Amino acid sequence: MDALEGLTVLDFTSHLAGPYCTKLLADMGARVIKVERPGGDPARALQPFLGDEPGPDRGATWHYLNTNKESVVVDLTKPAAGGLVRRLMAGAQLAVTSSAPRVEQELGIDYARLSSYADIPVVSITNFGHDGPYRDYRLSDTVLYAMGAEMYSHGLAHREPLKLGGTAALLQGGAMAAVAAMGAITAYEVHGVGQLVDVSLFTVQISNIDRRSSSILAYRFSGRVQQRPQGAGGLAGGVYPVADGYVEVTATAGNYWRRFVDMIGDDALRDPRWENPMTAMDPAAKEEADGIVYPWMLSRTRAEVWDEARKARAMVAPIYDGADLFGDENFRARGLWTEIEHPEIGKQPMLGRPYIFEKTPWRIRSAAPSLGQHTDAVLGEIGCSTGEIGRLRAERVVA
Amino acid sequence: MNEYLPLKGIRICDFTAVWAGQTATMYLADMGAECIKVENPFIWNPMTRAASPRINAMVAAILPPWIAGHPPEPGPRPWNNSPAFIQVLRNKKSFTVDSRRPEGLEIVKQIIRSSDVIAENLALGTLEKLGLSDEAIRRERPDIIILHMPAFGRTGAYVEGRGYGAHIDSVAGSTILRGYRDSSPSDNAGIFAGDYWGGMHGAFALMAALRHRRRTGEGQVIEMAQVESSAHMFPQAALDAAWNGRAHRSVGNRSIEGFVPNGVFPTAGTDRWIAISCRSDQEWRALVEFLGNPAWAASPAMATATGRAENEDAIEERIAQWTATRERDELFHALQAAGVTAGPVLHAGEAAEDPHLAATETWKRLSATEDYPEVDWLRPAYRFTKSDIDLRTPPCLFGEHNDYVYRDLLGFDEDTIERLRAAGHVAGTFAPEALENG
Repeated sequence: MDALEGLTVLDFTSHLAGPYCTKLLADMGARVIKVERPGGDPARALQPFLGDEPGPDRGATWHYLNTNKESVVVDLTKPAAGGLVRRLMAGAQLAVTSSAPRVEQELGIDYARLSSYADIPVVSITNFGHDGPYRDYRLSDTVLYAMGAEMYSHGLAHREPLKLGGTAALLQGGAMAAVAAMGAITAYEVHGVGQLVDVSLFTVQISNIDRRSSSILAYRFSGRVQQRPQGAGGLAGGVYPVADGYVEVTATAGNYWRRFVDMIGDDALRDPRWENPMTAMDPAAKEEADGIVYPWMLSRTRAEVWDEARKARAMVAPIYDGADLFGDENFRARGLWTEIEHPEIGKQPMLGRPYIFEKTPWRIRSAAPSLGQHTDAVLGEIGCSTGEIGRLRAERVVA
Repeated sequence: MNEYLPLKGIRICDFTAVWAGQTATMYLADMGAECIKVENPFIWNPMTRAASPRINAMVAAILPPWIAGHPPEPGPRPWNNSPAFIQVLRNKKSFTVDSRRPEGLEIVKQIIRSSDVIAENLALGTLEKLGLSDEAIRRERPDIIILHMPAFGRTGAYVEGRGYGAHIDSVAGSTILRGYRDSSPSDNAGIFAGDYWGGMHGAFALMAALRHRRRTGEGQVIEMAQVESSAHMFPQAALDAAWNGRAHRSVGNRSIEGFVPNGVFPTAGTDRWIAISCRSDQEWRALVEFLGNPAWAASPAMATATGRAENEDAIEERIAQWTATRERDELFHALQAAGVTAGPVLHAGEAAEDPHLAATETWKRLSATEDYPEVDWLRPAYRFTKSDIDLRTPPCLFGEHNDYVYRDLLGFDEDTIERLRAAGHVAGTFAPEALENG
């Protein structure tokens, strides 16, 4: 049995943040009906593509974000679409949108309209929320991270601030929206209330903890502003090169330092002077320690270093790239990877479960849908006759 | 305001530590769950309530603000005012017990019997050593939901792996993707994006399991290895490797989706920057017009995404020259008005004062306590129009709810509580040996 079995989600989202939210629901068993615009979700056009050959069913990002979903193509700008949305809403327990507030209204999927069709929860993901001076402003992943107050302290002091990799900031917004969606579903099932849940991507960035909410509270407490560091790491801390790449090291004074020294196994580092916090901040001391640490590191591979670190319980781990994650036998055996099968791309590997449930599995029931793959079936379910569907197609309301 | 709290009546026995675990249970506490944090006065859990239990004004001043920006006088209980940790304690309750001793373990078991969820992300085997294996927990409460959030998994080759956020980001493929294009990963400063990502996924998983239990009466065990959930933050890199054999590296502030320009540019003043992205030809044309249609930008080579990609270095250089003399915030609003995606790189102080965040009631002022001054605290990130999901109670102080737990919840009489206090279970501060080891 799936944890979210029996839950139907009407999904008006596109691009990255909204689809990640509904993916989390779909992968745990919710039925997610994705209402796609004619021409498709812009995420279908995002690289990378299989074999670098573009195509609406060939993108890895698209496939990743839309597993287990159904695609119904409706042109929400057509007046006749309103009736279809009303009938689709009648069979859903949750709706999720990710259009700008003005666009929500233009498309007839704002909360006032949707809740007039059915009193169910509506999670509305927007750049800046539904109020406030930036309400109608645009966002990209980079601008979002910049305004989120952590970019400023990420990077090096003498250079420009740095963003996270990939599109992490947008996906974080989607993950937070999924938590909100589960809260809204719970309130609906337990208390019988539908409601608007307003998720602002900007507020999500500000609210979270990869130092930023800490930095903001620290500013309020102390008046100090978190700056970019002058350089990396203190005494034996930060990223070290090894024979085949890099490892991340934490060896702060105390237990972590002692375990690190156990790992390196050089008695010169056992001298108690190394444990003085002032030594840890002395560049000359760091150079001296590095004189011992670097040769040890450079004569070992990441795997060898990690083996030694685990034996010593040292806080050291390898720096992996995507190929390392894909190739790692341990993560593969545990189920981090699974497969999808799709007519256009065949069988391909896919990132698998982020969590292991004992009784209600995360699972792939179907690969991401082709554009409009489920239009006829879903319209049939809400009572559209074949003739009506034909007419709607001819009028380009559906596709 | 109506209540309609989704998780009202749900109790969490909370053994989480550091950030990811404590964040997961915070989201559930925000939703109305009664989250009871189990704290041991004899054990200093590293990176859970403060960087160090002995932090004072002098030490705090030499450590980075995010971890040690305590109030100017941290006072005798710095574990109640570390900015890095206490805000994940909002809406929670704290009680103390030495669960390593039989009578302490029995107290924990009594809490478990009335709990719906138990959550932990301690070093692997810690709960088992206490006598709280999954089986033992289920003997107390058969339909409980157990959430484990190990760093690298509870099975497989890496079970003994130790790590904080930085190490999890490393293995998950995050660290290799950030950094300057022209420098090695050893220039990377620590960012811990996986912590709250893990917290979100842990909270999501728990609410899914709670739904299953409402429908079937069945509890279950959930294992969420933090590195595995974090791998999902970078699907493009993971899948390009899996599908095309291509290993991604840092692109600096450029876009992995091929948007040009996409970057961070200097503005007038010291260390003030603006981020600008053109995600379509339309946004590019808006930018060119905003720049006053200079010849370099109006050339046909720049009109297409392919052409801009070929000229990325030159475009970045021109834009940086242009922004360098402009005032950041004027540029932000003017570019947005012109239809260009742009935003200031805000530092913590600027974010704290941002007018949009103030207007949208992102913060809530709480009164001063003996441990921290009156300041504006973050509320939960989303607004529910009916459910009262909010910052309801301030971060729990160490042992703040001992009376509630021992008296009201467990129903112990005064004599018993006094005896437990004398034995060190009931405490308002850490025992000297915990402070010494911290």
